[in-house]
Amino acid sequence: SKMHFIFSNEVVLLFDFWSVHSPAGMALSVLVVLFLAVLYESIKVGKAKLLHQAVVSMSVLSSQRLVQETDQDSSASDSGPAGRARLRWFFCHFGQSLIHVVQVVIGYFMMLAVMSYNTWIFFGVILGSAVGYYLAYPLLSMV
Amino acid sequence: MDHSHHAATGHMADNSTTMPSHHHHHPTTSAHHSHGGGMGGMMMSMTFYFGVKNVELLFSGLVINTAGEMAGAFVAVFLLAMFYEGLKIARESLLRKSQVSIRYNSMPVPGPNGTILMETHKTVGQQMLSFPHLLQTVLHIIQVVISYFLMLIFMTYNGYLCIAVAAGAGTGYFLFSWKKAVVVDITEHCH
Repeated sequence: SKMHFIFSNEVVLLFDFWSVHSPAGMALSVLVVLFLAVLYESIKVGKAKLLHQAVVSMSVLSSQRLVQETDQDSSASDSGPAGRARLRWFFCHFGQSLIHVVQVVIGYFMMLAVMSYNTWIFFGVILGSAVGYYLAYPLLSMV
Repeated sequence: MDHSHHAATGHMADNSTTMPSHHHHHPTTSAHHSHGGGMGGMMMSMTFYFGVKNVELLFSGLVINTAGEMAGAFVAVFLLAMFYEGLKIARESLLRKSQVSIRYNSMPVPGPNGTILMETHKTVGQQMLSFPHLLQTVLHIIQVVISYFLMLIFMTYNGYLCIAVAAGAGTGYFLFSWKKAVVVDITEHCH
């Protein structure tokens, strides 16, 4: 089948109800897609920062635990600070996995939006990726 | 029933308002070429749907027709997405392990006053023909192929299969990244 990019104010994006007929609807759809792309880039940076923070807090906790154990001369057990740290890590990692699912789904949505071969939508995705990357990636190097 | 959306104007809007979603998957014996504006192949669904009938999956022989087959496909896609995440993590840790190996080359070098000095060269990373690099390349190809498969599966727009991809990715990330985070914690002390 012949597929190529077209400029058009008519498109159906992703869902049956997302049916665009007018320039206003198209403008709104482009904004939504743009926002999705910004969100996608931000999530990538956010995940990395969350992981960094979690690892840092884990090493702080384990060094604290070390100090406690040498002070109290007691053997480590699952209860107390060690168990709480593990539980905290579990919840933190579970949250990260949920964020990962959102990231994967948004990534696929963006791919499918581009697949509509509507040039306005494509511009929205590209511009959104640019804006998102521009705003979010400098935050990676910030501690 | 399939013909009403092949209006010459090629409005995709007709597709969504007048047709039930199952329409996309009635077997079409005649070739339906796309009409108007490059709207794409009409045999493919262009919006999300939940269906079990006549779902073609990647290969020509692989067609899902019953709920049982869909359940099997769901599990297979779920495992594929999980495997993809695991492969990503495994490649990362393999790369880190192979780059930790540092090669020192010491060679005699003439110094001032006719003395001989030992100059030590430090090389970090992989050689081109080394086994780790070849293994990384093979794994990379597998990763690329699987990522394209997952993309094509998501492109079927079938709700069940898309959920399988997303859930598999999340579960794989949860299981395999857990181990990775522990490794990061241990190997990168003083983070």
